[in-house]
Amino acid sequence: MNRAHQLTFDLVHRSALSREDFLIAPANQQAVAWIDKWPDWPSQSLAISGPPGSGKTHLAHVYMAKSGAHLIDGSQINQINVRDLVETNPTLVIDNAEAVVSEDGADIHEENLFHILNLLKETGHHAVLCSITPPARWKVKLADLKSRLNALTHVAIADPDESLLAAVMVKQFADRQLRIDHGVIDYILPRMERSFRCVHHIVTAIDALALREHRNITIPLIRQVLDTLNQEELEI
Amino acid sequence: MTSEQGHDLTVNQWTDISSRLRTEIGEAAFQSWIKPISLSHRDGDIIRITVPTRFMSDWVNAHYSDRLTALWRDQDASIKSVDVTVLPDRYSQARNEERENCTALASSYTGPNRRQKGNSVQGEDKASTISAPVDPRFTFDSFVVGKPNEFAYAAARRVAEADIVPFNPLFLYGGVGLGKTHLMLAVANHIRKVSPQRNVVYMSAEKFMHRFIRALQEKNTVDFKDQFRSVDVLMIDDVQFICGKESTQEEFFHTFNALVDQGRQIVVSADKSPSYLEGMEERLVSRLNCGLVADIHATTYELRLGILQSKAERIGVEIPSKVMEFLAHKVTSNVRDLEGGLNRVVAHAQLIGREITLETTQEVLHDLLRANDRRVTIEEIQKQVSQHFNIRVSDMQSARRARAVARPRQVAMYLAKQLTARSLPEIGRKFGGRDHTTVMHAVKRVDELREYDPMFAEDVELLRRMLEG
Repeated sequence: MNRAHQLTFDLVHRSALSREDFLIAPANQQAVAWIDKWPDWPSQSLAISGPPGSGKTHLAHVYMAKSGAHLIDGSQINQINVRDLVETNPTLVIDNAEAVVSEDGADIHEENLFHILNLLKETGHHAVLCSITPPARWKVKLADLKSRLNALTHVAIADPDESLLAAVMVKQFADRQLRIDHGVIDYILPRMERSFRCVHHIVTAIDALALREHRNITIPLIRQVLDTLNQEELEI
Repeated sequence: MTSEQGHDLTVNQWTDISSRLRTEIGEAAFQSWIKPISLSHRDGDIIRITVPTRFMSDWVNAHYSDRLTALWRDQDASIKSVDVTVLPDRYSQARNEERENCTALASSYTGPNRRQKGNSVQGEDKASTISAPVDPRFTFDSFVVGKPNEFAYAAARRVAEADIVPFNPLFLYGGVGLGKTHLMLAVANHIRKVSPQRNVVYMSAEKFMHRFIRALQEKNTVDFKDQFRSVDVLMIDDVQFICGKESTQEEFFHTFNALVDQGRQIVVSADKSPSYLEGMEERLVSRLNCGLVADIHATTYELRLGILQSKAERIGVEIPSKVMEFLAHKVTSNVRDLEGGLNRVVAHAQLIGREITLETTQEVLHDLLRANDRRVTIEEIQKQVSQHFNIRVSDMQSARRARAVARPRQVAMYLAKQLTARSLPEIGRKFGGRDHTTVMHAVKRVDELREYDPMFAEDVELLRRMLEG
């Protein structure tokens, strides 16, 4: 088969990240409840963990809108003056927080996160830490940090159930301004891996193929995408 | 106009301003940030308002102070600024009164030779500006004593209660989260309570270093030295963080000597004994060694249980003894982990409004208690289910449709869907190349059976728990 492929621009689409756009389901309702409860928290920090695509960044943005929190990435923690950071920002979001775990012995990250957690206590300021694995499981070398991570208030976003997967899929299509028939979702759901990550892969692939081949999003097109994805998986 | 009339006017203006803010920022933000504000008084051209917590004061300052000032100016052009301070709640108000009484006492003690410039209130302020906040909850009474920490506890008490320095320095060391900081804060709280005239400074080694470096940058080391050398009791926490930082160590060494020479008390904590601190200068190590070195050992089961009971009592939450025993048995690393674990369990119970049980405890601390969430594989499910129903594993893939094998096969498919993220077509493939609709049918069938056959439901639940480990 030899189809001429239309090249498409990988235009950045904007995801809707407000509280109203967040899909609440059993998998994430505790995390949402903690964010909604702010600033009435039992401790200075809240750790949210969950698989990629489970909505951590979205929740972090909800928190930022609510609290005006300053956002930093865990990988930047070695480049900042932590005392200034915590003292000048009453609220913080540390996304990708497990980036502080150093494999190459660059312990400055760990030490800085340790100081941040102490400074939060000292100033009474608040922070949200987002990571894929729960902080209690990070392989940190600094024992002082380890015990502080173990004590963090932590909420995990669990694996999605089918209705959440369906809702996330509809939202991700909508973020790309694609309106999808319910039949399409019903077709995809039983045929896909049930993870947030996979929703993202499928939506991206369907969007790309539809755009490239100027086709509507139909079951035959989806079958083609699922076959390709399955093929890729089998090859891995 | 009398001052009372003036106050009434200010109150009316504030009512206007807060209702304007309510429409400007919306109900939710108003409830969170503006409503808790109370108007204190007008002080010349400054309006003084108070909020209940430091966090709120930072917040209001960062987000609303410009708007507040502008709105006041609309009402009264002579207003220059709005000043936000923290109005302590009832609890800390009591402490403040206590402190005021203490200050009164202090000034009566303070003779003309006292080094403080000005009155004793300033002295108090000066001390609190360089000391980190001392949490009043950390006292000797709230420290649970057991075999592993009784020596360090006795040494700290001695320092707190003595009139003349009993040993200098007191060097407390032990693994993380065993109570070094608690003991230091207990010393600070005790001394501030019984001898408020003594200037007690507690800070982390990180803060000492930060202040020193800033003083160097601002070429203001004279003030730095003055501040530290006018301290009666200096407590530096986690001194290992200045290991390898030469200039900070040098300064600490001089501060240390100056204070010891004047007969002031020093308390230092670290994660290791002085001789084991790598990157610490020899002369400083020998200074640190020359007082009393007290170590805190790892906790025992009895101590952990005692700590949990005392903690539960303090926070006033009913915790089943089964849960406490479980925690004392499982969370053995240190006290911080233990108390942190208990806090997490309590916070969770309060969030979802349910009682604390062994099950919720295990669920909430799941990340702490288990090193990872290993995913179950479809093969493991097939094996476990076959064993349970006493059939051959190969029957999971076979075409046989006898109920004795078909039902377990359906259970295995159901569990594969519940416990793995695998797609239904893939699950079908692993069960002898069956179609995904067969898997869907199996899931539906098992759900139905669970509904009306409690024995069967229990079987499935048991299998699930075994597989989840």
